[in-house]
Amino acid sequence: MAEAAAPRPSSSVKLVLLGEAAVGKSSLVLRFVNNDFQENKEPTIGAAFLTQKCNLPTRTIKFEIWDTAGQERFASLAPMYYRNAQSALVVYDLTKPTSLVKAKHWVAELQRQASPGIVIALVGNKLDLTNEAGDSTNTSGEDGDADAAEGDDGDARKISTAEAKEYAEEEGLLFFETSAKLGTNVTEVFTAIANAIPETSLKGTRGPGSTQANASRSEDQSRVSLTGPRDNASKEGCAC
Amino acid sequence: MFNLSNLVQKAQSLIDPTQALNISSSDRNPAKSTLFRHQFRLPDTQNPLQEITAELTISPPVAYTPNVTQGEKERDRARGYHYVGKLHLSEAYLCFSTQPTSFLQSASTGTSSLFTGQTHGAGPGGNGFTLPLCAVRRVERLHSQNYQFALSITTWNGISNPPAQDSKTPILQQKITIQLAGTRQACERFCDGLKKGLKSGVGEVGKLKRVVSECYSEHLLSSDGKKSDPPDAGLGMLFKYPGDARKLRDRSKMRLWAEYLRDNGRNVTLIRQPTFHKLIRVGLPNRLRGEVWELTSGSLFLRLERPTLYQDTLAKFDGRDSLAIDEIEKDLNRSLPEYPGFQSPEGIGRLRRVLTAYSWIDEEVGYCQAMNIVVAALLIYMSESQAFFLLSALCDRLLPGYYSTTMYGTLLDQRVFESLVEKTMPILWEHLVKSDVQLSVVSLPWFLSLYINSMPLVFAFRVLDVFFLEGPKVLFQVGLAILRINGEELLDATDDGAFISVLKSYFSKLDESAHPKSENPKLRAVTRFQELMVVAFKEFSGITQSTISEQRLKYKDGVLNNIESFAKRTSIRNLGPDSKRLSVDELGALYDRFYGILYERQQRSQILQEETERLAKASRSQAAEVINGLSNNQIIEKGRVGLGPSPSLMDYDGFREFLASMTKWAITDSPTSPEKEYLSDREKHSYFGNSIRRREALSPWGSGPEPADHEFMQRLFRRWDVDMNSALTLQNVVTGLAHIKGKGDIMGSITYFFELYDDDGDGKVDREGILRISEALLFLSRRGLEGTLGLPATPMTAVSEQNHGNIDQLDPLQATTNERFLSSISAFIRRCFEYADPDHPQNQDEAQGTGNGGDDAEDLLELNSPRDDVAPRGKKPTGLDSVPSAISELDPEEQHRKVSKAQSEAANAALDPSKPLHITLPTFRMVVLADELLEQFFESSFPLSFRILEQSTPVISPSPLTTFSSLSFNRSPVSAVMGGAGGTGSVGLLPPGKGLRGVLDNIVTDGMRVAAEVRRRMEEAQKEMEKNALHRPEEDEEDEDGYDPRSAGGYDAERRSVRSEDRDLLEGADAEAGSIRATDGKALPVTPVSPAGTGLEAEPKKDRSVSALTQKVVEFER
Repeated sequence: MAEAAAPRPSSSVKLVLLGEAAVGKSSLVLRFVNNDFQENKEPTIGAAFLTQKCNLPTRTIKFEIWDTAGQERFASLAPMYYRNAQSALVVYDLTKPTSLVKAKHWVAELQRQASPGIVIALVGNKLDLTNEAGDSTNTSGEDGDADAAEGDDGDARKISTAEAKEYAEEEGLLFFETSAKLGTNVTEVFTAIANAIPETSLKGTRGPGSTQANASRSEDQSRVSLTGPRDNASKEGCAC
Repeated sequence: MFNLSNLVQKAQSLIDPTQALNISSSDRNPAKSTLFRHQFRLPDTQNPLQEITAELTISPPVAYTPNVTQGEKERDRARGYHYVGKLHLSEAYLCFSTQPTSFLQSASTGTSSLFTGQTHGAGPGGNGFTLPLCAVRRVERLHSQNYQFALSITTWNGISNPPAQDSKTPILQQKITIQLAGTRQACERFCDGLKKGLKSGVGEVGKLKRVVSECYSEHLLSSDGKKSDPPDAGLGMLFKYPGDARKLRDRSKMRLWAEYLRDNGRNVTLIRQPTFHKLIRVGLPNRLRGEVWELTSGSLFLRLERPTLYQDTLAKFDGRDSLAIDEIEKDLNRSLPEYPGFQSPEGIGRLRRVLTAYSWIDEEVGYCQAMNIVVAALLIYMSESQAFFLLSALCDRLLPGYYSTTMYGTLLDQRVFESLVEKTMPILWEHLVKSDVQLSVVSLPWFLSLYINSMPLVFAFRVLDVFFLEGPKVLFQVGLAILRINGEELLDATDDGAFISVLKSYFSKLDESAHPKSENPKLRAVTRFQELMVVAFKEFSGITQSTISEQRLKYKDGVLNNIESFAKRTSIRNLGPDSKRLSVDELGALYDRFYGILYERQQRSQILQEETERLAKASRSQAAEVINGLSNNQIIEKGRVGLGPSPSLMDYDGFREFLASMTKWAITDSPTSPEKEYLSDREKHSYFGNSIRRREALSPWGSGPEPADHEFMQRLFRRWDVDMNSALTLQNVVTGLAHIKGKGDIMGSITYFFELYDDDGDGKVDREGILRISEALLFLSRRGLEGTLGLPATPMTAVSEQNHGNIDQLDPLQATTNERFLSSISAFIRRCFEYADPDHPQNQDEAQGTGNGGDDAEDLLELNSPRDDVAPRGKKPTGLDSVPSAISELDPEEQHRKVSKAQSEAANAALDPSKPLHITLPTFRMVVLADELLEQFFESSFPLSFRILEQSTPVISPSPLTTFSSLSFNRSPVSAVMGGAGGTGSVGLLPPGKGLRGVLDNIVTDGMRVAAEVRRRMEEAQKEMEKNALHRPEEDEEDEDGYDPRSAGGYDAERRSVRSEDRDLLEGADAEAGSIRATDGKALPVTPVSPAGTGLEAEPKKDRSVSALTQKVVEFER
C-alpha cells in the first residue's frame, strides 16, 4: 500500500471483472498486472484482489482490480464486489456465444444496480483462436481451449466483431477484442478505461471516504446487501 | 401395572424436570434430536431415546480377567477418573458427556436456561464418549451400595489387531464403569433400551472392524513386532506433510497421543478427557490428524454407517459426465498448487475422485469452488474415503448452506460475522462503515475455505483441528481475533485494498514472535499464531454455538430475501425478448406466482407424504414419532429459492393451480374435497393442538382454490410447453402469457386461439375442433367475463366483484350479457359449420364444386359479393389484410342475403358426416368478428381474464412487488382460505340460499352442459346420417321451415340430421335432457325455472325434431 511518491497525481479506481466461467478474466488481469511484474496470482475464493498502476500522460490511475469467480453460484456474491466500482470489465469468449449472452446479463445488472456512471468495457477475449489473431500465425492450434469449435479454416470465432460492437455501441460500452494469451489489446483496455473515468469521480488513494461513499454507506444497512446501491446512488450521486 | 408405571413416570417428571424428556415432551420440541446429534456428532439416523444422569468412571485398562470381583471394581474406581454427566442412548450409540446437554436449551424444562453453549474448549461433546453400540463387547451389571445401577462396559477396543497369541504383552481391555443415578424405574428403562440396542448392534461388528482398520491409531498402537503397512494417512505420507516436523514437534506430539490412546481407547472407543482437548489445542500430529478430525467431526460415524459408500459411488457413476465434473476439472490444478502432492497425478487423481463422488451423492450441492481447496487440504491428512465423509459432514452440518447453489450459508455467516464485529469491536466497525470497506470482501474467503487459503497451511490446519472439535463458532472466534489483533492498523486503512494488505501481511508473519521486543524470553517465544489462538478462545470465549445460532436465526430471513430478490431480478431480466410485452410489475408478479406455486406444491407433497408415513408409523414407538416431528421441521425449511436448488419446472397440475390463482375460469366448479370433509376433519383434530397444518395438508390443492381440469387448459399447457418437457419453465410461462396478453391485439388473440385447436398445425380445425372451441368458450365464460363485454351500458366489472363474493345481488344487466354470450357461442357453432370447408374436394358438389378444400369459405363469400377481395387461399392466414374485407362482408344485410342463398349448400356440406370438414383461420376470424360479443371476448376479456397483478383469489396478498416468499407465506390462514374456496371455487354448486346469483351460475353451467350435449348429438347424428344418407332430399324440403335465416344454418342442419333418426332415439335424448333439467331444478329450488328452461318451453314446436338441448343453444340467440 505504501506507494512511492508519484510525480503525477495518483488516484485509485475500483474495477471489477465479470463474465462467464472460463472466458479468461483471470488471464486478462494476470496479463495486465504482470506487465508491471507484480506477481500476485494468489487464487482467492470469491474474488481475487490485485492492483496495478496505469500511467496516463496527466495522471496515474491505480486500478484496484476485483477478479470475480466465474462459477454460476458465485453470481449472487457479485454485488459485493461491484459495489462502488467505478469501472467494470465484462468479458466474454468470442468463440462461445453463450458467454456473450451472459455478458449482456452482466451489463444489464451493472447498469441497473452498480454505481451510476460506471464505466463498462465489453471485452471479447480469446482473439488468438480466430484468424485475425494479430500476426497471421495460427496460434489456436496449440491451444487446448480451442476444442472442436474450430472450423476448417482454423477460425473458431462465433461472435462477429460487428455484432458485439453494435451491441456495445447501443449500450454505450467501451469495446475491445483481446487475447490475454498473446497480450493483444490488453493494456489498451485498461488504458481506455482509465481515460474514460471522469475526472470528477476520481479521488485520492487515501481520501478518507468521499462524501458519496459516506452517504451511501450510512444508508446501506445491510452489509451483505445484494440489492445493490441503486437507491443510495440515485439519491446521493455526487460523483456524476 | 401399566397405569401405575405411568403414574410413577408422571411423578418423576414433576420431581426431575429433565426426566420428562424421556416421555413425551420430546416431540413437541423437534429441534431436540438435531441438537443431540450435533452434540455428539452423530449421523442423522440417530435420535435421543433415553437419557439419564450418570457417573462415569474410567480406569486404566487392566489385564483381562474373566471374573471381575466387586473388590477389584472398587479398586478401579478408586484410582480411575470420575465424571458426572448425562448418559444418552440413541438407536446405535451410547453417549456420555459432562457438558450440560446442549439440547436442553430449547426443551421446555427448567434446566434449559442453564446451558449457555459455552464449552470451555471441551467441544460440545465435553468429556465423555460417543460409543457405537457395536463397539461394546460386553455389559455387566454391578452391584453397588451407593447406586442402584452400575454398569461395567467392556469395549472392542483394538478390535482390528488382536495381539498375537504368543505375544508377551498382556491382553488389554478397555473397561468403563457407569453408575446410573435415577429412580429404579428410570434405570431399568434405560437398561432395557440399552439391551435392545446392543442386540441390534451385534451385526455391525464386521463393519466396525473394517472401518477401524483404516485408522492410523490402530497401526500406531499395534503390538510390537507386527509392523504391517500403515493405513493411508493422506498424501502427506507420500509427499511429506506441510511444515517442518521438527518445528512442529511432531514426534513428541505423537508420543503423547500414543499414550493417551493407549489409556483412553482409540477411534470409536476413545474417551474424551481433558487431556484430549488440550492435545488438540496444541496441534495434532501429522499422521493422526486425519483420524482425529474424522472422530471429532463425527464423519467417522458416517463412515461406520456405510463403509463402502465412497467406493460404491465411484463405481456406480463411473464414466458418467456432469456439469459438476466439468467444473471440478477446471479447478483441479488450482487447488493448493504449492503442495507437491497436488502437482502430481496421484494427488490430482485423489482430489478428482473425492470431489466427483461427492458431487454425485449430493447433487444439489454438486461442486462449488472452494470445496476443491478444502478437500485438497483434507487429503493431505486422510484417505480418500475419509475425506469424502468429512466433506459430507462439512457440507451437511458444519458449514450448512455454504456451498449450496445460492451460497446462502456463506452470506448468512458473513452477516452474522459482521454483526459480531459490530458488537465486539464497535470502534473498528464504525471505521469500516465510515471508510466504506465491506468486511465480507476479506472475511468471506476465510469462512468459505476455512482459512486454508488465507493463512499459511500449517496454521490453517491448527485452526481446523479446533474447528472440527468445537464447531463453526471457531471460524467466528478466529476471525474476530484476527481483526482485534490488527485493530490499530486496520483503523488506518481506508479502503478495501489497504484493508486486504494489512491482513495479508499479518498472515504472512504468523510464525514470528508476537512480542519480539519483550524482555521476557518466554513471552518472546510466543508466536503470533499462538497469540491469535489465545485471543480467539479466551477473549472471544463468549462467542458460542448458541450465539451463532441465535444470530443466524436473526438474519436468516433478511439474507434469504436478498438472495431471492437478486435471483428474481436476474431471472426476470434474463427472460428474453418476449417478456418485454409484459410490464416489469407483471413479470415480477408472475415470477412470484410461478415459484410460489412450485414451492407450495413441494411443501404440500412433502407434508402429505409425511402424513402417510406418520399414519403408517402411528402404531410404532414414540421414537418414530420423534423422527417424524423432526423431519417435518427440517423439510419445511426446504424449497425457498434462497436456500438452494428449488424446483424450476411446473407440471400440468401445478399449471392448473397456477391458472386457478390467476383466472376465474380455471377454478373448478366441483371441488373434490368439499368443505364438509374439511369441517369434519377439523372437528376430528380439534382435540389436538396441531390440527392446522394437518388440515391444510389433507387437501391436495393446499390453501388455494381447487383448479378445474378442462381440455382448454391442457391445450394451453401443451402450447406453452415449447420444449416438450411436459413441464413449464418460468420462461415458458412468461412467453405463453406474453403472447396472450401481449399487445391486446384482437387478431393475434384470435389467431392464438385458433392455433390452440389446430392440432397438426395445418391451418385447419375440424368438426371436432370447432366443438371443442365452443366448449372452451363456454368454459372460459362460465363465470362471467372480464372487461366491458357487451353493450357499453353493461358494467361488467360487477362480475369480478361478484366473484369475489362481495356482491350477493345479481346485476340484471350482467345476466343478460351472459345470456347473450351464450347465444353468441351458439351462433358461433352454427356459423362455423355454415362456413366450414369440406376436407376433400371431390366431395364438393353443387355450389362449391370448383374450389379446393381450403377455399370454400372464400368461395362462398365471392358468390355473394364480387367486390370482396379473394381472401388468402393458403393454409396460413396472412392476418390483418383479409380482415377488414371479412368484416365488411359480414355487414348484416349482406350477410343475411348471402347466408340465405348459400345456406342449404353450405349446410349440406357441413353436416354430411361422410364429408369431413374444417374451418380455416380466415373463416374462424370471420365467424368471430361477425359477433360483437365474441369480438370483444377476443379483444379484451380473454386476455384480461389472466390477472397477473391482482389476485383472483382473496387469499393471496396482492402486491406485485412482494418477493415470492411473502406471497406464499401469506397464504396460511386456513379459515380464510376455506372461505375463499367456498366463495369462488364452488360457485356452480351454490346452495339455494344464494338466490339470483345461483341462477346465473346455473345458466352458465347449463351452457356447458348444452355444449357437451350438442357435441354428443352431433356425433350420433353423424352416425345416423351415414345410415340414412338416402333420406336427405326429403329433409331438404323442410329446411325452409320459417326460421330466421340468420340462425338457420347450423341449427337447421342439426335438425335435419336428427329428423332422420329413429324417433325412439330422440325420445331417449329428450328424456335425458329432461332429467338434466330436473337436476337443475333440484339444485335450485328457489328458482325452479332457469332462463334456459324457459326458453325451451317457449318454443315447444321444435321438440318434434330437435333435441331439447340443441334448441337451448339456439334459443339463446334470440
